[in-house]
Amino acid sequence: MDGTLLFQSLVLGVLLGGLYAILAAGLTLYFGVMRVVMIAHSAFVILAAYLAWFFHQETGLDPLFSMVLTVPLFFGIGVLMQRLLITRLRPATLTMMSVLLTFAIALLIEGLLGLFWSGTQRRIQLSYSGANFEFFGARVAVVKLIAFGLAVVALALLFLLMKKTRFGQALRATIQHKEAAQLVGIKTDRVAGIGFGIGLATAAVGGTALSLDATIYPSLHWSWIGPLMAIIVVGGLGSIPGTAIAALVLGIGQSLLQVELGTTWAQTLFYVALFATLMLRPQGFFGGRLAQRF
Amino acid sequence: MPNASDTETVRAPGARPAAAGSARAGRGGFLLPPWARWAGLALGAALVLLFPELSPNAYVLSAGVIVASYACTATAWSFMGGFTGYVSLGHAAFFGLGAYGTGILIRDLDLQPFLAWLLSGLIVLVITVPIGIAALRVRGASFVIVSISFVLILLLVFQAWEGFTGGANGLNVPRPFADLYRPDHHRIFYYLFVALLAAMLVSWWAIDRSRFGAGLKAIREDEDKAEALGVPTRDYKLAAYLVSATFTALAGGMYALWFGDLDPIFQFSILLGAYMVLMALLGGARHLFGPLVGAVVVGSALEYFKLEFGDTQLHLVATALLLGVVVLFMPDGVIPAATALLRRLGPQASSIREITAEELLARNRAASGGSADPADPLPTEGAGDSDPAGPGNQRKEG
Repeated sequence: MDGTLLFQSLVLGVLLGGLYAILAAGLTLYFGVMRVVMIAHSAFVILAAYLAWFFHQETGLDPLFSMVLTVPLFFGIGVLMQRLLITRLRPATLTMMSVLLTFAIALLIEGLLGLFWSGTQRRIQLSYSGANFEFFGARVAVVKLIAFGLAVVALALLFLLMKKTRFGQALRATIQHKEAAQLVGIKTDRVAGIGFGIGLATAAVGGTALSLDATIYPSLHWSWIGPLMAIIVVGGLGSIPGTAIAALVLGIGQSLLQVELGTTWAQTLFYVALFATLMLRPQGFFGGRLAQRF
Repeated sequence: MPNASDTETVRAPGARPAAAGSARAGRGGFLLPPWARWAGLALGAALVLLFPELSPNAYVLSAGVIVASYACTATAWSFMGGFTGYVSLGHAAFFGLGAYGTGILIRDLDLQPFLAWLLSGLIVLVITVPIGIAALRVRGASFVIVSISFVLILLLVFQAWEGFTGGANGLNVPRPFADLYRPDHHRIFYYLFVALLAAMLVSWWAIDRSRFGAGLKAIREDEDKAEALGVPTRDYKLAAYLVSATFTALAGGMYALWFGDLDPIFQFSILLGAYMVLMALLGGARHLFGPLVGAVVVGSALEYFKLEFGDTQLHLVATALLLGVVVLFMPDGVIPAATALLRRLGPQASSIREITAEELLARNRAASGGSADPADPLPTEGAGDSDPAGPGNQRKEG
């Protein structure tokens, strides 16, 4: 592999890793606040991508504007989902049953997408879809850069929210120790609901970013959920910085392997990393004290 | 209904039969008297065995074979999911491995079909050991993640590795009884699936009554406490996982011999794994016949949906809604739900425990009275509800 190609796939890997990071951040957030593995996350991502496509189809506006609608909508759905569904489950079996519940939601979304918009593959055609530019010898598609930019902005906002605001403090306290957080007066139920909403809002952002550059179809979410779950385990369940680092590392790794092995085999990297993590360091490589307990 | 009479017998004829009755009630939630259970069992078995004679046409018979195969997979799943409470969404991986193993062994080594079938079960057993060790190092969430990932990775590999698996073109498995007509073929495989199911049910029953089974159930209720009490949790979990995976693989291999055409998309399908979970939970994963009941209900419904709505996505929506309802409203399945309903309609019990204080007293009295043998460890099925789930409940082993 020569230098240019290496650099090219490195750049693509970073861009891809950014997208992975924002998508996996949501998963980490749910797991943190509720100990819930949200299988439906990637289904919501695909739903957001479909909504962006539909929005573009109907209005002719740039699909990025669809976020004005989808982000609040998804936030609301997330809060409702936590308040109405997840809290109904028994605490003792919450983790297992929530997986099944969110799995059911994923199936529901997939089925409804198929019913409404059929299984046909969809793609958004934009004036700048084919555009790309030179970056130190590497060709970078504009849409990929926009997707990456969206991911970075969303992650930065999430970071600021978590670190700088009072609500973020409450959220982190809830993640670290729910009972202790309750003792100091945090309404952990409400915080968890909002945390869930924020997680789902990131799915809206990620889905819109994805719709710019990907061909979408209802069952696409299965090929996303595996890598995303691998990322959160490698990153250490519950740690957002760990997730971001793991996403970037694995994204770059996938991109580099793709050159040698082709797309399909490159994807197995995630699962290899997942199994290696569980064998060597079940608590994940990048922090996450939480994960030890799971 | 009989449950009322059951409580009657508890009161009326002295302490010893009462002890036996309440122990039974505590064990499974069945409140039927013994003769009714045997009669029900015989009736069910007769219905199952006579089904091919009763089915009006070959299509219904083939649907019966599919339902029987679902019943096998759901029961195989419940060895892990029911006993230990570890929900695996990825059991389709073992199904697919068993199916492909059988097919590839016949194709490449020219083995006798049923020898290949057994051998592929054995191969899956060996493959599952490292997977199980990796998956069971962690609890709860990570286990589910591993189980799903395993299916996804196998789907990728079996699609990509065309030279070995036939890839998306599929793998053709020669029929073991080449000279039979379709309906006779279905009939034979129906009975083969039922025989496999019977073997599973007997194993399930034996494990349920054994010390091993008690250990597994202790893991389900509270893994930390079980470990503290000296249950070798890791080995037990691994053993249950292996049994479950091997039976699933045998069901998959049988399916390959019957259906004759394998495609990675259908064999390594997450949906198939979800069906197993749905069936087992719907029927009641903690009950011997729960997965079977669930498979009959869900399997028939799926066949109906396929017939009625063809290729639409409606069956996904229906599966999703059913799974959601089961998880939210009756996570223990219809058998306990029905039993609870019967109990509510019958004489009231005021305790939230599995056995009432009264029954416990009768039982203890019987035990101290001498010969009765209620020494078998009582499964504490109510513990999950009554224990507040502190963080300590879910702490990982060291």
